[in-house]
Amino acid sequence: MKWRVVELETHDAFLNMALDQAVSESILAGDSPPTIRVYKWKPSAVSIGYFQSMNDEVNIQKCEELGVDYVRRRTGGGAVYHDSEGEITYSVIAPESNFPRDIIESYEIICSWIVDGLSRINIHASFAPINDIVVSGKKISGNAQTRRGGTLLQHGTILYDLDVKTMFTVLKLSSEKISDKMIRSVEERVTRVLNYANVSQEKLCEALLQGFTSGKEYEIGEWSDEEMNRARELAETVYRTREWNFRR
Amino acid sequence: MKGFAKQKVPGGKLLAVKLDYSDVIEKIEILGDFFLHPEDLLQKIEKSLVGIHVDESEQAIAEKLKRVVETNSIELIGITPEAIAQTIKMAVKK
Repeated sequence: MKWRVVELETHDAFLNMALDQAVSESILAGDSPPTIRVYKWKPSAVSIGYFQSMNDEVNIQKCEELGVDYVRRRTGGGAVYHDSEGEITYSVIAPESNFPRDIIESYEIICSWIVDGLSRINIHASFAPINDIVVSGKKISGNAQTRRGGTLLQHGTILYDLDVKTMFTVLKLSSEKISDKMIRSVEERVTRVLNYANVSQEKLCEALLQGFTSGKEYEIGEWSDEEMNRARELAETVYRTREWNFRR
Repeated sequence: MKGFAKQKVPGGKLLAVKLDYSDVIEKIEILGDFFLHPEDLLQKIEKSLVGIHVDESEQAIAEKLKRVVETNSIELIGITPEAIAQTIKMAVKK
């Protein structure tokens, strides 16, 4: 199986989520190879899990004030603040038959590629079921998977820097006022690449892609016109719509 | 009446239930940061709970949920039928 790798790109939240779906559909139709992509979000955005309520999780007014987008993912899991400079996101999209039926096992396999990537910049991480990667017990990466129509999509974030204040402003983590105590509590549970390795984002991406592709046949590729057109269509007709984002 | 309850499932994920109810559950939403495959079948689970008497035991609700989960080959990750049933009872009590 030959993988396609799409190197670091930056899109808005809606196109990022739409690309994952468009590529899944295209793989299902037999038109695209299994794909690994790494990307950033601009503007910064909040994504919520498929089963979460937008209004319960996200401070919409603050997002509007700060120009932060908000989008519902097609994967479960929790709300994530995607700072445009503070993290790298990846997606692995492939026929489901290439992975174990057991979902946690398949999380472990894909997360091991990220653990491998981080080891290349001397960060010693490990998989923490259900869907996290941790360094010294602190979360550095969250991941979410869906399987639809025979394709597997797993996407996740690797924290590079962490803007805890903005994160607290846009996520309704608590009704309490943002306090130093809360920020300390997050810093006790969550960490970031810069705490362990003084590397650029480019270097991090390079290391991650080495981890993702190790032992695989692959080529660097790009989106087909059909994939990009479908993604643009999905961004407008699904991911940008109130109907999708506020359905719960 | 409206009911709401939320809990962190031990060893699992956050699970919340929003209810409209009288003697029976009239409307229910199950929310949280859990995983459920295939995702669209959460609606089937929710529908199966509409009409259930709110005095039904937690165990009976869990059994019903288990049947729906098994019949439809639904995979729950981070939540269980028992946890959903427990959260429903919490939401009704409040």
